[in-house]
Amino acid sequence: MYAAKRVTYAKKLLSTVGIDPARLEMYNLSAAMGPKWAEICTEFTERIRKLGPSPIWLAICRQSGMKRSEE
Amino acid sequence: MIVGKQKPFEEIWDMIKNFKKVLVFGCNTCVAICHAGGGKEAEILASMLRIKASQEGLEMEIKQAAIERHCEPEFFEPVMDDVRTSDVVLSLACGVGVNFLSERIGSIPVYPGINTEFYGAVPKAGIFTELCAGCGNCILHVTGGICPIARCAKSLMNGPCGGTNNGKCEISQDVDCAWYLILERMKKLGTLEKLSEIKPPRDWSTGMYGGPRRIVLEHIADSEAQAEKKDS
Repeated sequence: MYAAKRVTYAKKLLSTVGIDPARLEMYNLSAAMGPKWAEICTEFTERIRKLGPSPIWLAICRQSGMKRSEE
Repeated sequence: MIVGKQKPFEEIWDMIKNFKKVLVFGCNTCVAICHAGGGKEAEILASMLRIKASQEGLEMEIKQAAIERHCEPEFFEPVMDDVRTSDVVLSLACGVGVNFLSERIGSIPVYPGINTEFYGAVPKAGIFTELCAGCGNCILHVTGGICPIARCAKSLMNGPCGGTNNGKCEISQDVDCAWYLILERMKKLGTLEKLSEIKPPRDWSTGMYGGPRRIVLEHIADSEAQAEKKDS
């Protein structure tokens, strides 16, 4: 419960600095829930793909003059 | 302890965005307890500022540090190199710490990252309540251990006002009426008659109304001065 509240707080902090809070998520799982874990990983990876590269990464690329193709 | 609250991020960003080298400087005593300005909060805030700087395309070097106390000189020494090589120090200490560090390093700006709020306690984790006003003339022995100066919205000295409402203050249902608490406590203590004693008007000059305060303990200040003389 404390962890969930802290994740909510961390989402707020991320949003303050312009990072989509959807990039952070907490799931409650037991060690015996392997298939569910795999499902969540796939789902979450898909979500991040849709959101695109991290704005921090893009900002660093812009600063260092690195091209997206070099990522 | 002194209770503080971190300033809004945008306000902090506006303060420091024009500097190249920033030190976010936490204090691990009171403001760490209230999760506003300890070493952990300094790290989090420094990370947020780095993210913001990179998004704004600004080249900034943002470091963080924390010491045990910002109100005594001896704690500063290990971090003074970092402090002196910064363009600005964003202090997460209380106002005392900001003043004290500012005096020590006059050539570098020291800005406040938190708003210093009050002297308070932690009745429950994450909740902080004001209990003392630091007025310099304590009367808790005649008010059942409950301070009417800090805890009554009007700092009344002679009982509740007309705004008391079933034990709550008229300013908010979340605020207890201090005088209701005082009367109930004194009933329990069997000392209610103390409130009937006629008191002279209070001398408010012992608080902030009398200007900045200073306490000198000669037996300590003198021996420290002598030890310094010997050393030199």
